Amino acid sequence: MKYEEAVKRLEEIVTEIEGGKLDMDKIGESLKEARELIKFCKDKLYETDEEIKKILETDD
Amino acid sequence: METITLQELNGRVKSTLQFEMPDAYWVQAEISGISPSGQGHCYLELVQKDTTGRTFLAKAKANVWRNTWLKLKPYFEAETGESLKVGMKVLLQVTVTFHEVYGYSLVVWDIDPTYTMGDMARRRKEILDQLAKDGVIGLNRELEIPMLPQRIAVISSATAAGYGDFCNQLASNVYGFRFYVKLFQAAMQGDDVERSVIAALDSVAARMDDFDVVIIIRGGGAVSELSCFDSYNLAYNIANFPLPIITGIGHERDDTVADVVAHTKVKTPTAAAEFIISKVFDTAQVLEGLARRMGDAVTGRMNAEAVRLERLAQKLPSLFAVLKVRNEQMLENIWNRSVNGMRNLLTVKNHRLELLEKSIAAADPALILKRGFSLTRCNGHVVNRVSDLKPGDRLTTVLADGTVESEIVG
Repeated sequence: MKYEEAVKRLEEIVTEIEGGKLDMDKIGESLKEARELIKFCKDKLYETDEEIKKILETDD
Repeated sequence: METITLQELNGRVKSTLQFEMPDAYWVQAEISGISPSGQGHCYLELVQKDTTGRTFLAKAKANVWRNTWLKLKPYFEAETGESLKVGMKVLLQVTVTFHEVYGYSLVVWDIDPTYTMGDMARRRKEILDQLAKDGVIGLNRELEIPMLPQRIAVISSATAAGYGDFCNQLASNVYGFRFYVKLFQAAMQGDDVERSVIAALDSVAARMDDFDVVIIIRGGGAVSELSCFDSYNLAYNIANFPLPIITGIGHERDDTVADVVAHTKVKTPTAAAEFIISKVFDTAQVLEGLARRMGDAVTGRMNAEAVRLERLAQKLPSLFAVLKVRNEQMLENIWNRSVNGMRNLLTVKNHRLELLEKSIAAADPALILKRGFSLTRCNGHVVNRVSDLKPGDRLTTVLADGTVESEIVG
């Protein structure tokens, strides 16, 4: 997944919960998904991605 | 006719020139050759071309003597950011000289850098006009820098201080953001800039999915030599490039054509790094904002639900009371209905009993005997057939007021 997609999905979830129409049962699921998305984004920001490093180290 | 030697002739030309043209002149010309001498002088070849640029209209040698050159060179470079070079248009203050051996030449005393800058600006404008006409000038600026510009292709020379500054600035960002930098080498000054930067751009384009942005940087020097970035071909490649390009080629003056067509132009490599960091910072802020909104939304929703539950709980006793009254009424109804049902049932049964009583009363044998009927027994059994009897049997006959014994004679 791309960072942009993750943020977009997160935005959707937040807007949905803010709308107040989501079932209480589903809020739990949404919260879980949102937490995962936030973690994904934070990892991208603050953790070294060895795969990207490897790709960029290779020459064409 | 007078006969003179060549030296005499040249001597006369020399003195005529000195006499007729003793003043200094400001002359516009283009440099077609430049060679500093070992003694610290500088020899220039000056030309004037026609409008096609292919035919020479005039040509002259010009010498800048050491003392002049020592002042003039740094002055010109400080003003324009460029060193004098071939192809450059200059405005020089000269005097005319003639030497018996070396012939006609000019001596340079001063230079007006604003003329050269004006010419460079005019050339930049021409290139920009052409790029606009070709419809490419705004293409790179229209691209969007991704939210997370982490994978950075740097076009620079490895030896340039600017590249090191850029990498250090990124690596030491206080937020702890991660960046991935790959260098694509290119000449950052001299005649090879256009070719090598375009080649580097081609290398990046060949693997563009591996990168988010391209940065073209070079460290500043005393002379920035930026006119090589005023190139139509280079600008065309930058404008058409599929990834956003940020230039940080280190200058304070007018933007080069490369700067104008790039997505974003900053002054220095350090500023380029700062720009990238600030983009990622914005992105991190958006994430923080969303996380906060998420927290608030969930807390808000939970509170709202808690209030709702509380209200329901408060309503429960009164609801229960209503329910109780209803249930009691229902029970009473059932009770009443059962009692009535029982009552009705009993009445029906009683009636039947009365009828039975009546029929039982009607069947009482005493009554029947009273009406004249009698009951005959033989040996304790009720006799109802003649065939059951024989002569000699003793009969007991019950009448209403007593019994009579008799014997059968026939």
